[in-house]
Amino acid sequence: MADGTRKLKVGFADQLRDIEVALPAGEPQPWDATTKLDVVGKPHPRIEAAAKVTGAARYTHDQRPAGLVHAAVLRCPHPCAVLDALDLEPARGAPGVLAVLAVAKPGDRLLFAGQDVAALAATTPQQAHAALARIAVRYSPQPFVVDTTAAMQPDAPLVHRAQVRERSTEGDEPGTPTGSSQRGNLRMSPSQKKGDVDKGLRQAKVTHEATYSTQAHTHSALETHSIVLRWDSPTSLTAWCSTQGIFSVRDELAEVFGLKPQDVHVITDYMGGGFGAKFGASAPGSRLGFIAGELARQARAPVALLLDRREEHLCTGNRPDSIQQVTLGAAADGSLTAIKVLAHGSGGIGTGAGVGRNAFAIYTKCPNIRVESHDVFTHAGPATAFRAPGHPQGAFAIELALDELAVKLGKDPLELRLAHNEHPVRRHQFELGRKQFDWDNKRKRVADERQRNTRLRHGVGVAASIWGDFGRGKAVVASLSVGRDGSIELRNGLQDIGGGITTVVAQVVAEVLRRPLADIRVRIGTSELGPSVGSGGSNTTSSVTPAVRAAAEAVLQQLRELAGKQLAARRPEDVLWDSKGARVGGKSIAFVDLCKHIAGEAIVATGTRPDTYGAYPSRFMGGNSVAIAGVQFAEVELDTWTGLVRATHVLALHDCGRVMNPLTCRSQITGGIILGTSYALSEQRVMDKRHGVMLNPNLDSYKIAGARDVPAIDVVFTEVHTGANNTGAIGIGEPATIPTAAAIACAVFSAIGTPVRSLPLTPDRVLAALGAIPTAAPARG
Amino acid sequence: MQPFALIRPTTLLAARDRVHEHPRARLFRAGGVDLLDRMKEGLDAPAELIDLRTIADEKSLRGINPDPAGGCQLGALVTLAELAAAAELDAVLREAAGSAATPGIRNLATLGGNLLQRPRCWYYRNVDLVCLKKGGDACLAVTGENKYHAILGGGPSFIVHPSTLAAALLALDASVDIAGDTPRNIPLADLFVGPKQDPTREHSLGPGELLLRVVLPPAPPGRRSAYAVAKEKQSHDWPLVEAAVSLSLATGVMTQVRVVLGHVAPTPWRSREAEAVLENQAPSADLFRKAAAAALAPARPLRHNAYKLPLAQGLLREALHRAADLPLPE
Ligand SMILES: Cc1cc2nc3c(=O)[nH]c(=O)nc-3n(C[C@H](O)[C@H](O)[C@H](O)COP(=O)(O)OP(=O)(O)OC[C@H]3O[C@@H](n4cnc5c(N)ncnc54)[C@H](O)[C@@H]3O)c2cc1C
Ligand code: SF4
Repeated sequence: MADGTRKLKVGFADQLRDIEVALPAGEPQPWDATTKLDVVGKPHPRIEAAAKVTGAARYTHDQRPAGLVHAAVLRCPHPCAVLDALDLEPARGAPGVLAVLAVAKPGDRLLFAGQDVAALAATTPQQAHAALARIAVRYSPQPFVVDTTAAMQPDAPLVHRAQVRERSTEGDEPGTPTGSSQRGNLRMSPSQKKGDVDKGLRQAKVTHEATYSTQAHTHSALETHSIVLRWDSPTSLTAWCSTQGIFSVRDELAEVFGLKPQDVHVITDYMGGGFGAKFGASAPGSRLGFIAGELARQARAPVALLLDRREEHLCTGNRPDSIQQVTLGAAADGSLTAIKVLAHGSGGIGTGAGVGRNAFAIYTKCPNIRVESHDVFTHAGPATAFRAPGHPQGAFAIELALDELAVKLGKDPLELRLAHNEHPVRRHQFELGRKQFDWDNKRKRVADERQRNTRLRHGVGVAASIWGDFGRGKAVVASLSVGRDGSIELRNGLQDIGGGITTVVAQVVAEVLRRPLADIRVRIGTSELGPSVGSGGSNTTSSVTPAVRAAAEAVLQQLRELAGKQLAARRPEDVLWDSKGARVGGKSIAFVDLCKHIAGEAIVATGTRPDTYGAYPSRFMGGNSVAIAGVQFAEVELDTWTGLVRATHVLALHDCGRVMNPLTCRSQITGGIILGTSYALSEQRVMDKRHGVMLNPNLDSYKIAGARDVPAIDVVFTEVHTGANNTGAIGIGEPATIPTAAAIACAVFSAIGTPVRSLPLTPDRVLAALGAIPTAAPARG
Repeated sequence: MQPFALIRPTTLLAARDRVHEHPRARLFRAGGVDLLDRMKEGLDAPAELIDLRTIADEKSLRGINPDPAGGCQLGALVTLAELAAAAELDAVLREAAGSAATPGIRNLATLGGNLLQRPRCWYYRNVDLVCLKKGGDACLAVTGENKYHAILGGGPSFIVHPSTLAAALLALDASVDIAGDTPRNIPLADLFVGPKQDPTREHSLGPGELLLRVVLPPAPPGRRSAYAVAKEKQSHDWPLVEAAVSLSLATGVMTQVRVVLGHVAPTPWRSREAEAVLENQAPSADLFRKAAAAALAPARPLRHNAYKLPLAQGLLREALHRAADLPLPE
C-alpha cells in the first residue's frame, strides 16, 4: 500500500460523515463506520479466564524460582525523623538471615511513616520479619505535619527544604502543565485559563461560591506491589514484577544496577491490578527494585519482595486529597459567565495534586475560566497517578457546584449542562441518558419526596467525564508468525493488567486472518517479546491493536502471495481469502495445506502503529488526540434517620471508539463505576494528626465497596468512529471512573436539598447536612 | 506473626489447666477470627493456642439445648451462622447474628469468641501506638480520630464494645455459665468490665476461665423483638451503631421492655431511660421518638462522633417500630 490520502467514514449514531486522512506507507486501510467485522466487536470471554478462576494463573506472588529467599523492609515509624544510628549487625546473625542492606544512612531526614530504612533477606518470610526486630536503629523525631490545611500555614513544619522536581510516570496524563514555583509547603503550578474570569464574575447576575473537599484515596490493588528477582549472571537478571509497564521495570533495573537493558528480563504473566501505581521496578515511596536486587546479589539467591497490605497503603502511592474553592457566575438567563477554581491538595511528599480538566474543558461555552491547582506537601507517602489523575476530585467539585447554581437559577441541572457543553458526543449522551434513565420523571419523584419530607428519599444526579485518547505511535512492535503446521502466534512484550488486552489482540488476529479465535496463541508478558507500551493513560488498546493489525495484514499479504503461487493466480488480487483458506476461480486450498508450503519454519511479520492520524469529532485540549466523552446518571436511596446513602443505579454512557470486545469494555466501565462508588461513599485514608501515622492501613477500616455496595449498572456504548488509528480503538479505563462520585454527590444533594461538599458521603456528613446533629459543643476532646 | 503451637485438648479440664498455668502465653482459640487478627497485627504473641473445638467431654459447648429452667442454652462454640438460622430463637438474636461481619466469618465465628473479642479502636489495633488500653498513660482517641468511638459511658477509654451478639442477648436477659475454679452463672451484663473499672480489659473472666454457654430465660408471653444496624458499607463492615429491643405485647401495652444500644459505649448499653418511657404504654410513633430522645439524653459525644446521637435515635425508632409491628413512616 502506498503512502497517501484515504477517505474514511467517521462519526457516531446517525451523525456520520466522510473525512480524508493522510496515511503513512504500509498502513492498512483503517476500519471505519462502513467496515463489517466478524470477530472484533463481538463478546468473546477472556481467553485466560479459566486459568484465572481455577488458580492456574501464576502471579508475581506465586513465583517460586529454585532457592528463593524472602525479603522484609524496616520502615520508619515516624512521620519525620533524622536517622541517628543504624546497626544491621545484630540482624545479620539472626536465624535464617542471608543478607542485610541499609537503605537510609545516619543523618538522613526521613519524611513519612513508612519510608525505607533497611532491608534484609532470610530463608523464610517469618525469619525475615522476625529479624527486622534485631536491627538497632535510633531516630530523632522532628516536627511534622500531615494535615493539608495545617501544612498551608506559614509556620507549618517544612516538608522539603529544597525545590522538588516533578516525578511523572506513564500513568500520568500526557500534556499536564509543568513549571512551578515553591514557597513553604506550597508548590504553585501554572493555571489553565481562558477569557477574563474576574470580568465574568463582575458581569454575573447570579453567583455561587463554596469550598469542596475530597479525601486521600489509596490504590489498594488486590495484588500488592511485588518483585521476585534473580541474578542469572553478574551482569544479567530476571525479574518477575507486578507491573503496568514491563519496559519501565526493565529500564529502571538496568539503570540502578548499571546493566544493558537487553540483559534485564522482565516477566509479568498475570497481574492483579495497578490503577496507576505500578510503573517502574519500585513503588512510588519504596525502592523495591534496588532492595530486591542488592539482597539477591548478597544472598546469592533469588529474592521475593512482596509487600503486605499495610506497606501497600503507606508507600505505594495514593490519590491526593483536595480542597477546592469554586466560584461560578451566571447571567440572568442562566448562561455561565465565569468558572473559577482554586484548588489545593496534598500528594504527601510527592506532587500531582492537580484537579484535572473537568472544570476547564467540559462546559466550554462559558467564556471565562480559570483553574489553578497547587500542591501542598505533607509528611505522608507520595502520591502517584491513580486512574484518571485529578479528574474524579475535579469532577466532584465542579459538578456539585453546577447543581447548586442550577437550584439558584431554577434550572434543571441537565439543561444547564447541555447549554454549556459543546462536545457533540457528550450532548448525544446527555440526551440519550435523559430518556433511558427517565430523568424527568425521576426528578419529579425526588422533588415530591423532598417536599413531603419523607424518611426515605431518592436522589438523582448526572455528571460528565473528559479524557483524551493517548494511544502512542511508534512504541509497539508486534510480531506475528504463522508456522508450517498452521499455528498462529502473536508476540509482544505487553502486560495484561486485567483489562483483557490478551483477548482483544487475539480477536484482531483472528479477524484479519479469518481463523478461529481459539487457534490464536497470544504470547505476552515478557520484555523478550518485543517493544510495547506501559498501560497508563488508558492507552493500551489504542496503542497495541493497530500494531497487531498491521502485523497480521503483513502476514496475510504473504499468505496470499503463497496461495497465488500455489493456485496459479495471475494477479495477487485474484486470490480470495476466507475462513476456509484461499481460492482462485474454481481452485482452492485449505489454510493448513497452504501453510505446509511455507518455506522454512514460519512466516513472521512485524507491525507498528503510526502516530494518531485523526481526531473526530473533537480534539482533546487542542492536541492531536481525540477528546473522549462520557456521562453518568446516578440514583441513590437515602435514609434520613440514619444518614445512610446507597447508590442503587448508575447509567453510564461512554464513548470508547470502536468497542473491540463488549465484555471486556463493559468490565472496564463497571470497574470504573465500582471504584467511583467506593470513593464516593466510603474509602478514605485516615491520618492521626498528632502522631502522623495512618490509622487504617488495612482493608477493614479502609473501606472498599463490597458486593452489596455496588449499584445496578447499565452501560451504553456510544460507539464513535474517530479515524484515529487503523482499528479505531481508543481508551476507556480512566474515563469510566471520572464522573461516578460526582453524579452520586449530585444525587444526594437532590435528595435532601443540602449539598454534602466533602467526600466520602458517610452518614455523619449526611446527618450534618440534614441538620440532625445537635449543635451544642462536644463535651470532650 | 510469631510462631506458635496449636494444642488440641479433648477434655475441658485439660484445656483449662493448660491456660491456667501460663495465662499470658496460652490463649483459647475458638473460631480464631479475632485472635488471629490480633496475632497478625502484632498485638498478641501467644506461644500456644488451645483449641476449644476439640473438647469432646463437654457437650453443652455445642448446639442449642433446652435449659432446665425452661429457656434455652446456647453453647459457646455455636457459630453466628447457626444462630442466624435457628428458627426457635428470638428475632433480635437471629437478625443480629445474621447481620454481623460476612457469611464466611459467620461460619467460623463463635458465640463465645464474639462476646470476648477485643475492641476495634484503631489506636489499640496499631502496634506502634501505646494507649491506656495497652498500659500507656493516655487515651489517644479522645484527642484524635474518634468518629467510631463512644458517646455514652466513655472514659477514660472510649472504645465501643464490638460484640453485636452482646447487644441482642442483653435485650433477652441472658446470663452466662462460666467454667472456672468456682463455676458460676452471672448475668450477661456482669461479664463486661467498663473502662472506669479497668481500661485494659473488657470482660471479667479470670485466668483459665472459660465461657461455657449463654443461658436464655423463658420468654414472657407475646414477646417480640427486633435489631437494627447502620454500617458505612453493606458488605464486610462493622456497625456504626446498633439497636436491639425486646418487649411483650400480650395486653396491648408494652411490658418487659428492653432497650440496648450497641457500638455507642464501652459495654453494650442498656437504656433504662428509654425503657421507662415505653413500659406499660401502647406503642406509637410519637412515643418511640420520645424514648429514643430519652435514650440519648445522657450522651456526651466526642469531637467527631456527635452524629451517633441522631443515628442511634433513628435506629432505635426503627427497631421499636419493627418489634411492635407498627409501620415505619414512608
Ligand atoms: C470484617 C469483619 C466484620 C465484623 N463485623 C462484626 C459485627 O458486625 N459484629 C460483631 O459482633 N463482630 C464482627 N466481627 C468480629 C467477629 O464476629 C469476631 O471476631 C468473632 O465473632 C470472634 O469469634 P471467634 O470464635 O473467632 O473468636 P476467637 O478469635 O477464637 O476468640 C476471641 C477471643 O475470645 C477468647 N475466647 C474465645 N472463646 C472463648 C471461650 N469460650 N471462653 C473463654 N475465652 C474464649 C479467645 O481467647 C480470644 O481472646 C467482624 C469481623 C470482621 C473481620
Ligand atoms: S479508646 Fe481505649 S483503646 Fe482506643 S485509644 Fe483510647 S484508651 Fe486506647
